[in-house]
Amino acid sequence: MKPKVAFFDFTSCEGCQLDALNLDGGELLDLLNAVDIVNFREVKTERADNYDIAFIEGSISRESEIPRIQKIRDQAKVVVALGACACIGGVNCLKNYLPMDEALRIVYGKDAKYYNTIPARPIQAVIPVDYYVRGCPPVTAELVKVIKALLLGKKPDIPNYPVCVECKMADNVCVFERNMTCLGPVTRAGCSAICVNSGRFCWGCRGLVDDPNIDSEKDILKKYGLTVEQMIERFKIYDTYAEVAK
Amino acid sequence: MQGNSVLIVDDEPIVRESIRDWLRDAGYQVATAETGEEALEMIEKQDFSVMVLDIRMPGKTGITVLKEVKAQRPWIKSIIVTAYPSEETTAEARTLGAIDYLIKPIEPDDLERLIRETLDSVGREPTVITEWEIRPKPLVAELLEVKKSFIINRGNLKSLVENLAEEMEVVGVKSKHGRYVYDRIANFEELCLDYDVTVLPPTKYFLPARETMLKFKVGDWSKIEPTIETLPRAIIGVHPYDIKAIELLDEVFLVANPDPNYLARRQNTIIIGVDCLNPSPKSFAPSMGTRLTETGFDLLLTDIGADYMVTVGSEKGAELLANYTQVREPTGNEIVKQKEVRDGALVEYKLSLDVPKERFLKLLEESYDDPYWESRSKTCLSCGSCVMVCPTCFCFDVRDEMALNLIEGERLRQWDGCMLVDFAKVATGENFRHDKASRFRHRIFRKGKYILERYGMVGCVGCGRCATACLAEIASPLEAFNALAESAKVKQAAIRIIREARAETDLYAPRLAELVNVTELTPREKVFEFRLSDGKALGQQPGQFVEISVMGIGEAPISISSSPTKGNTFQLAIRNVGDVTNALHNLKKGATVGIRGPFGNGFPIQALEGKDILLVAGGIGLFPLRSLIQYILDRRSSFGKVILLFGARSPNERLFLDELAAWSKNPEIEFHETVDKGDENWKGNVGVITTLIPKVNINPRKTMAVVVGPPIMYRFVIVELKKKDLPDENIIMSLERRMKCGVGKCGHCQINGVYVCQEGPVFTLAQLRNLREAV
Repeated sequence: MKPKVAFFDFTSCEGCQLDALNLDGGELLDLLNAVDIVNFREVKTERADNYDIAFIEGSISRESEIPRIQKIRDQAKVVVALGACACIGGVNCLKNYLPMDEALRIVYGKDAKYYNTIPARPIQAVIPVDYYVRGCPPVTAELVKVIKALLLGKKPDIPNYPVCVECKMADNVCVFERNMTCLGPVTRAGCSAICVNSGRFCWGCRGLVDDPNIDSEKDILKKYGLTVEQMIERFKIYDTYAEVAK
Repeated sequence: MQGNSVLIVDDEPIVRESIRDWLRDAGYQVATAETGEEALEMIEKQDFSVMVLDIRMPGKTGITVLKEVKAQRPWIKSIIVTAYPSEETTAEARTLGAIDYLIKPIEPDDLERLIRETLDSVGREPTVITEWEIRPKPLVAELLEVKKSFIINRGNLKSLVENLAEEMEVVGVKSKHGRYVYDRIANFEELCLDYDVTVLPPTKYFLPARETMLKFKVGDWSKIEPTIETLPRAIIGVHPYDIKAIELLDEVFLVANPDPNYLARRQNTIIIGVDCLNPSPKSFAPSMGTRLTETGFDLLLTDIGADYMVTVGSEKGAELLANYTQVREPTGNEIVKQKEVRDGALVEYKLSLDVPKERFLKLLEESYDDPYWESRSKTCLSCGSCVMVCPTCFCFDVRDEMALNLIEGERLRQWDGCMLVDFAKVATGENFRHDKASRFRHRIFRKGKYILERYGMVGCVGCGRCATACLAEIASPLEAFNALAESAKVKQAAIRIIREARAETDLYAPRLAELVNVTELTPREKVFEFRLSDGKALGQQPGQFVEISVMGIGEAPISISSSPTKGNTFQLAIRNVGDVTNALHNLKKGATVGIRGPFGNGFPIQALEGKDILLVAGGIGLFPLRSLIQYILDRRSSFGKVILLFGARSPNERLFLDELAAWSKNPEIEFHETVDKGDENWKGNVGVITTLIPKVNINPRKTMAVVVGPPIMYRFVIVELKKKDLPDENIIMSLERRMKCGVGKCGHCQINGVYVCQEGPVFTLAQLRNLREAV
């Protein structure tokens, strides 16, 4: 009996889902041999409500999303958070720096009164989450890795060390030596340092490692010329929820 | 490749054809060649398991063929046949890897037996993936002398590199974003020979960041293939400190339990070094004795201005110069010039150690509790950069990865490092080096003490890469122990080790075992009985462990719960705590698993014989201890009084209930048990296990205590045993750690300088007194 898999989206750009099944043809067929995809708005119109594994994209930013996600939790045996918004709150949490009324006014102007909003949060703030597929967008290989682990009945081995490990394995010249700064030293690896490999720096989209040395990272950013404001801006993009929640 | 393919090389038709017919009748795949030239042509196109080779042939002699085959297909086993034996050719053939020597006329049975034994000893052939075929040029008659120096001009150096590039991958140092990296060299112009230091060391070509060890198919145990990916390669521009690092890796990977993947790459690689004349500001190589080297390279260049001095370091290096380029004798001035440029570079080094090396070990020994570790590691990011860029760091993690079809899988190893948070964490959740300070100290102790004690070389070559990579600026061993002076002299040249090492292709490949019985002990614990598929006994000592594989899930170390006195099967009692143990708990009778081992030292039976024995088991500590209990009961007359104490957390967590009942009735042992917390039905002792110890009478002079339990238990049991005046030498414990590879390579199970999988898991308290991380 193949496990039934469903994809759901909450507050998000739906880019994670779009990217999720960006597999080569052979792999996609292997995947479809292994699981039944019963619910996936971006791919098929038919829907079913009896699923075993729910992949959830997006953060929670409206009251009405809470009962909806709780219903999914009740149905699914396994809930997997997909992407930065679902895993760590992501860019949606930038609005949490404003009073909610003001956020509504900026976005909707005179129509603000027709909407409601609550501070954005990762789905684990609302329901228990079993596994995380991190990143903005997630690495498809990691999504596949999690699916395989679920099928095999083992824990997916998602690194609990910083991006620096994979960046060094890739033989990159350190971002700090190239007159830029980077959140790699506190951000969870698993992306193979893809941004640094292509000449950029780590933005922190996979969230922090379990025990990040934030103080030390801030000292380093300061040493390499960032002002306190610049530093806050940098952490804000993806780590607002983790930082504010502290 | 055919697993039983034989190539016969002999110029006499009658010999060639008769051997061919005998072997064909015996079931071998046989091919023949009339001359050495023809044989080499065939080998270039096709692989063979065994070559039967005549020595005296017109044209290329057997010895020449052997030499070329050794370079090209080192795994082919050669058997020499000759009518004209001489001591000299025998010796030469042996050094070239020939495995035996038969004198004509040959007895067909002798030859067949020899071939069969050879094939058996080879085991499963590794899948060797080479991208390019090597086509060695004919050897020149006269080889240039090793250790001698010559002059090579830039044009000739260029042709050397270009000629090499036609036959193998050429890698060297290139610039990248203002720094330098080792990478594939497409043309001579992009090769940098005056760089300071590279981001990653060239050791990545021997131990890649990630590599496949085994390929397998789930459910098809015949399809576990040891896998070695290697291709012929020349590394150009290796600095002496990195050459010294490679020599250290040779000690680690080639001396005990030779690592097949490392060996294959090492044998397939040419090292062309270059003196470092433009050192990195973070380097302190002179202090570590690695500024210059006389060993470990095939060729070594020194930039003396107009031309290069080239020093020959090996026969291979001499062949390269003879076959691929032109050199000349140096003039007196040029020899002086080499010394001048080397001395000139010395003053470029900005950092040095202050303290003579004699004080170095002692310094670390005296500084274990120094507040330095705590204070200096506060800013550590645990980012692993220091260990990832280190040329002497070699620790790795092993895991299984499956294809999406969930049938094909690979067992991979990947760089790991002791500075990463989860490095010493075991499946039960315990992390034996959980704080930054202990990890920071461990790394420096490895560099300065543990590696030195184990391999005879300091584990730091002073390249300065870690100091460059560490954003918190805390990683330099120089700063940590500004105490090392000249590094210990390299004990032996690496070349010799490589030649003598014999790859154990099956080092990481499991043997198969069938699950013949499963019994549930508690909902969390089961005992599994296995039989090796070849029918042989496991051959364990009580207290040893095995690495057990469920292909696709992974491998885990499990202690053996049964005594070797119990026949050909063995038992593993297993708590369901992690992925592998969970998968094992789902197995049914008749299932197959992979087994490596037994590993470790086991309980010291000889030291126990004739003594009174006090056995103390806490919880699942009974699992390993049961092997000893069974052994003692089966050899009861060899031991004095035997007392067994067992403590469980609750009556529900008691294990081996039938055996507990039997032991309590057995007049040959004194048995006491307790539970931490009773229930309404429990009528026995209540209290932790230490409460049992005051109740027993022991003679401290003739009693050996063997204690196995959770880490927390040891401290309290030791206190009680010391109250009974038991000497440290008489208290024996078995420790749990993350034994990932089982063969003393991956670094995970280390307690201070000791590898639990090699020197442990059984230790006396006297030994543990010197191991601060132990209990």
